[in-house]
Amino acid sequence: MSHEWVVQGLEADLDHFHLGPVDLTLAPGNAVAVLGASGAGKTTLLRTLAGFLRLRRGQILRDGVDISGWLPEERNLGYVPQGLGLFPHRTVARNIRYPMEIRDRAGAEERTKELLEQFRLTPLANRYPSRLSGGEQQRVALARALAADPGLIVWDEPWQGLDVLARYELGLVLHELRQAERVPMVVVTHDPTLAFSIADSFLVLRTGQVREQCDAATLLRAPADPFAARFVGFENVFDPEALAKGPPGSLRAFLRERSGSEGVAFASPSLGPLPVGIVQWQGTVRSARPNPHGFTVEVLVDGLVISVRIPPPMAPPLPVLGDTVRFGIEPATVQPLGTSFT
Amino acid sequence: MNAADAGGDSPPPGRRWRTGPLWLALQLVLSGSLLLLFVVPILALFASAPFHDLVSASRSADVRAALWLTFYSSGVAVLASVVFGIPMGYLLARRTFPGRSIVESLVALPVVVPHLLVGLGLFFLVIPGTPLYRFTQSIGFPVYDTIWGVVLVMVFVSAPYTVLASELSFRAVDNRVLEAARSLGAGSATVFLTVTFPLAMRGVVAGLLLSWARAVSEIGGLLVLAYAVYPGGPYNGPVSSTISVYIYNVFQNGNLGDAAAVSSLFLLIAFALFLLVRLGERSGWVPWRRGELTP
Repeated sequence: MSHEWVVQGLEADLDHFHLGPVDLTLAPGNAVAVLGASGAGKTTLLRTLAGFLRLRRGQILRDGVDISGWLPEERNLGYVPQGLGLFPHRTVARNIRYPMEIRDRAGAEERTKELLEQFRLTPLANRYPSRLSGGEQQRVALARALAADPGLIVWDEPWQGLDVLARYELGLVLHELRQAERVPMVVVTHDPTLAFSIADSFLVLRTGQVREQCDAATLLRAPADPFAARFVGFENVFDPEALAKGPPGSLRAFLRERSGSEGVAFASPSLGPLPVGIVQWQGTVRSARPNPHGFTVEVLVDGLVISVRIPPPMAPPLPVLGDTVRFGIEPATVQPLGTSFT
Repeated sequence: MNAADAGGDSPPPGRRWRTGPLWLALQLVLSGSLLLLFVVPILALFASAPFHDLVSASRSADVRAALWLTFYSSGVAVLASVVFGIPMGYLLARRTFPGRSIVESLVALPVVVPHLLVGLGLFFLVIPGTPLYRFTQSIGFPVYDTIWGVVLVMVFVSAPYTVLASELSFRAVDNRVLEAARSLGAGSATVFLTVTFPLAMRGVVAGLLLSWARAVSEIGGLLVLAYAVYPGGPYNGPVSSTISVYIYNVFQNGNLGDAAAVSSLFLLIAFALFLLVRLGERSGWVPWRRGELTP
């Protein structure tokens, strides 16, 4: 079921935590990824949308109708909580049939079969959730959410506890689903790869406040929030305090000149032959270790630890502890943080 | 760290008892001692009651009346626990309200108060001449020395076990599962019937079994409030008493063999009932362990 969703000035309180205001627009088929550190308010936002926390201010509009006063069971959302919330006492098939069963919907049996087939769960239909792998449980949760024919899918950490292959598969399923069924989605995730694989836009929360709200391209090019910057792969993030001291001509001064109200972020600088005209910095290797994306070297320069990534194929010799290395930072790649929240 | 430590082939000698057969032996000896304490007195009881005494006890009209009275009243008491105790457990588990800890303490009170006091308290409330006596007479549920008195005492002493067990079981149900159910379109009552209760059922049933066991074994309160049970209500046999009071009387009169025989008979019935429930759980025949077992 495709609807247009508009969230206006949503604010909610949970004990001493305040969330909002949050504004959000979701056209049919749109997906937004909610990002933020632990305790940023991501789950609070989802539970408010789902109707488990009362709005203090604002509106939730579905096709122009304010549903913020509706009970959770009236909202027709496919809400998948953290930990999935599968019914341990029902088999896979009966989990999926549940939303149709309680509505006495005709054709529940056929629809269950279809969903089992669609999510490759048919051989597992009579198993209990405790006997499934993490990826299988995730597919059951999604199939069950869809069985209710939801107007919006709201999913808290879909990829939690999944291995790489299962994540990839589930990402594909969600992507197809959005294309085919045009069901909008709000997804909380800590996983950048999968967030980018399904979301058209991003909402970054910090201590209950919206820090950034933009599309994928903007987030990749010019993140404004330190968490978002790290999330999209800016390895070096410094706050203004770290840059405060440092004489003119030092690295700190260089970065300070380009800092926004919340500091700066830049991706890995490049080692080796540098373009003419780029200022070079020199430092001592503090640690050197391989990682899935190549080889990461931490270089101590002017009291700052700069992370430098050497992508594969790596030409020997690789830097070792105590080596002196030179690197350059293209001024245009230094991103000021905290300057704009669009 | 030397090679022997790193290898982990054998624990250091000083700690071997913690992992070796001695540790298992310790557990077996300790739990075995307790089991002996449970079993030996019962064996002694059976030893003092020859089989033909058991048979004759089971044929005695007095014994049958006492057994009927005991099982009937305890059944009604368990029913009362279902009707009143389970909702109370749910309320205490799911709602916060001022004075909840006071209510919780009050619920636990009947477990710790000597039951003779319970009988005495009820006795003062319902003896002839009191308003409650007249009221219970007028609605057709006289309490003093009737089967309803037995039921009342039994509910008092046994219902707390159902309330406490239900509270714990309802509290153990993952709130996120309940939120998922509501979001899928189930109203509060539907969620209770289709998710909360089925998930809590095992603990609730365990509480009901404890309640039943407590009701059946009650004697203190009954000695005061319903020492003799006169016919009335669902009971129309001879003047009798519950099995516990009956055995106590036989014992007081010096008929040790009879006391042993009736006790043994009662034990056999109670043990058979418990065994039936456990076997039902094992086989998956009863519904409250679904999802934990096969497939």
